Amino acid sequence: MGRKKKKQMKPWCWYCNRDFDDEKILIQHQKAKHFKCHICHKKLYTGPGLAIHCMQVHKETIDSVPNAIPGRTDIELEIYGMEGIPEKDMQERRRTLEQKSQESQKKKSNNQDDSDEDDDDDDEAGPSAQQVAAVQPQTGYGAPMAQLGMPPVAGAPGMHPGGYQGMPPIMPGVPPMMHGMPPAMHGMPPGMMPMGGMMPPMMPGMPGIPPGMPPHMAPRPGMPHMAPAPAAGAMPSRPVAPVAQPVVTKPLFPSAAQAQQSTSGAVASNSHSTAASSDPPKATFPAYTQPSVSSSSSTSVSSNPSSSTVAKPPATVTNKPATLTTTSATSKLIHPDEDISLEEMRAQLPRYQRLLPRPGQAHAAAPPVAAVGSIMPPQQGMPPQQPGMRHPMHGQYGAPPQGMPSYMGGMPPYGQGPPMVPPYQGGPPMGMRPPVMSPAGRY
Amino acid sequence: MSLFGTTTGFGTGGTGVFGNAATDSHNPMKDVEVTSPPDDSISCLAFSPPTMPGNFLIGGSWANDVRCWEVQDNGQTVPKAQQMHTGPVLDACWSDDGSKVFTASCDKTAKMWDLNSNQAMQIAQHDGPIKAIHWIKAPNYSCIMTGSWDKTLKFWDTRSPNPMMSLQMPERCYCADVVYPMAVVATAERGLIVYQLENQPSEFRRIDSPLKHQHRCVAIFKDKQNKPTGFALGSIEGRVAIHYINPPNPAKDNFTFKCHRSNGTNTTTPQDIYAVNAISFHPVHGTLATVGSDGRFSFWDKDARTKLKTSEQLDQPITACCFQPQRQHLCICFQLRLVEGPRVLQPPEKELHLLEERCRGAEASEQEMIRRAKSHLLWGNAEDLLH
Repeated sequence: MGRKKKKQMKPWCWYCNRDFDDEKILIQHQKAKHFKCHICHKKLYTGPGLAIHCMQVHKETIDSVPNAIPGRTDIELEIYGMEGIPEKDMQERRRTLEQKSQESQKKKSNNQDDSDEDDDDDDEAGPSAQQVAAVQPQTGYGAPMAQLGMPPVAGAPGMHPGGYQGMPPIMPGVPPMMHGMPPAMHGMPPGMMPMGGMMPPMMPGMPGIPPGMPPHMAPRPGMPHMAPAPAAGAMPSRPVAPVAQPVVTKPLFPSAAQAQQSTSGAVASNSHSTAASSDPPKATFPAYTQPSVSSSSSTSVSSNPSSSTVAKPPATVTNKPATLTTTSATSKLIHPDEDISLEEMRAQLPRYQRLLPRPGQAHAAAPPVAAVGSIMPPQQGMPPQQPGMRHPMHGQYGAPPQGMPSYMGGMPPYGQGPPMVPPYQGGPPMGMRPPVMSPAGRY
Repeated sequence: MSLFGTTTGFGTGGTGVFGNAATDSHNPMKDVEVTSPPDDSISCLAFSPPTMPGNFLIGGSWANDVRCWEVQDNGQTVPKAQQMHTGPVLDACWSDDGSKVFTASCDKTAKMWDLNSNQAMQIAQHDGPIKAIHWIKAPNYSCIMTGSWDKTLKFWDTRSPNPMMSLQMPERCYCADVVYPMAVVATAERGLIVYQLENQPSEFRRIDSPLKHQHRCVAIFKDKQNKPTGFALGSIEGRVAIHYINPPNPAKDNFTFKCHRSNGTNTTTPQDIYAVNAISFHPVHGTLATVGSDGRFSFWDKDARTKLKTSEQLDQPITACCFQPQRQHLCICFQLRLVEGPRVLQPPEKELHLLEERCRGAEASEQEMIRRAKSHLLWGNAEDLLH
């Protein structure tokens, strides 16, 4: 990239502190994220342009730039790509980048083996994801993690634990700071961190890092121990999440686990890495990787899909299927927690266990995929019903064309295929279920 | 859910779809509802290939049956025939000449349904429910491919009770698609395998999944020379990945996009992320349709990387879709929704809808697309697209 005098090595967005490979991509990002009218979705070119549009077309005033971090929401500032950024902010940014690169030097020497290969993966995934025009790659997981996902930068915070072995004691103090963070998770600009005077000399990303580092240091088995602290520190909204406590920590740990594989050891903690404006998808990959890494019940570090080095335990080992991380601070996955397909879940319902067609069973549990999310509770009542299920079935079995009669009239006679299996079987026909499920099932 | 419809070619010409009198919330777009739907959710849909006269639609359901409707030019459907399995039907497909329908079920068997004689016979057996079934027509062979939760992919000559070939997969098959000479299978644990089908099926490549959540549906798309060149993969996390097999520049050509999520850019409330249940490519324009558990379907242009249109939110998750190309219909089906409560059972709504949608290709500029969409869409909320 040409001119060195005014801008950094890599273009970055002043509004949200994200880094980009190319100024063109940066401009696309700004248009889609910051200069987009929330009413009609028209993309403008600058902040003032957006303000004028809203006033003229919708007769609405807008006073802050959408999706901008606090302090950078000035709608009057005419910023286009890298042009128009106030000099003061430029310098701040340069300083932050320098500091981060220093740390990453040190961290890289600690983390040499894993970082390089994963840098490539992350880099590769990044640009492609950036170009998604449709939607902004900013998911719940991604948001906190994204900022830390920069491979070069991520190394930096990771450095400190080497020097700050006394970190853990600081952790309890972290939560209070964190609480102010959530809305601004998209990337804390340097200096924005309300350190609370705790660690002024530390890098902005540090408070989050220590929680991440110990897990990084101690490989996965040690992770569960770290669970409470980082959880408390990183996601203040966690306690609100409906999922159980251990599950709560999942977004952290997958990243922490990934710390060994990807340089972003800092990914473990959310937010606050200022320069970590690398493409969110780049960072979300580590965050996303193991839905079940820190799975609450199953000890299985079983599914580690993104890592080819970690062998997945055979399915027969796990009694309980791995669970997914379905909730995070800003998004909620509408899917049952178990990591099996919706069809598998549905096939396990007692009503489908019978080899006879059983439509419209009054006792049937709701299929797992209910748009409204009434997922688990209805099925709790199923197991007790199972033994009793058979009986209400009478009247339907034996006659193959269940529910068909209503259609007989309009339709030519149809073949029946293999004769119906004798009504309600016990165990063996239940083999329909995928092997991984425990026989009792959850329904 | 695997994709159908791409295996079908082009049908006869047709006119538009006529409105349905019901304009209540489950049919806000005045689509045509298919008559005599099955009693339980529909798991799969497929339109008949163009090589046969007439337009037929088959749908397999969780009520263990597979039904066949004739779709008339005015969009109305007439139930024609059905077959039963002993377990829920998970997938169905047509043979290339349209004389046979193959169905796969949780009863671990797959059947071949000869429509002329209305007889069905079992042609495949697995150790677990069969999740995906596709017809492969190669110059030197033709067979059925079945993917099952028993982690195997088997190929069957319908005349023999033993598979021609059985390939082991790392995990359970969740979805598959076939466009000769390429087949893609997505498995549990985010596995992704591409097979090449020339001469005989063999594994071509295992791909690291571009998505970070459970795979749900896959659909192969073709390039301008009508050769399969890549696939779209949908996950439970409201995201679709477009992946080319041999792109000139993988980092730039492959991408993912988010879809089927609630409250777009509103960051004050947690975003609900829904699964993408099925993906279907428009045979002519190459645009794709995705349907999700949020009850919406959307059209996208993968080359321009834009969203073309999202439907209104319908009140039930949409479980399957397929295009019927020439007439440019998209057929979607809803999942049966049973609300479990103390003896409360909502009446099941399981209509199939035939929608008319014309999605133009990427040549047009965005504005042009919007103009066209406005003129062709049947439903009234084209204002969404206005700038």
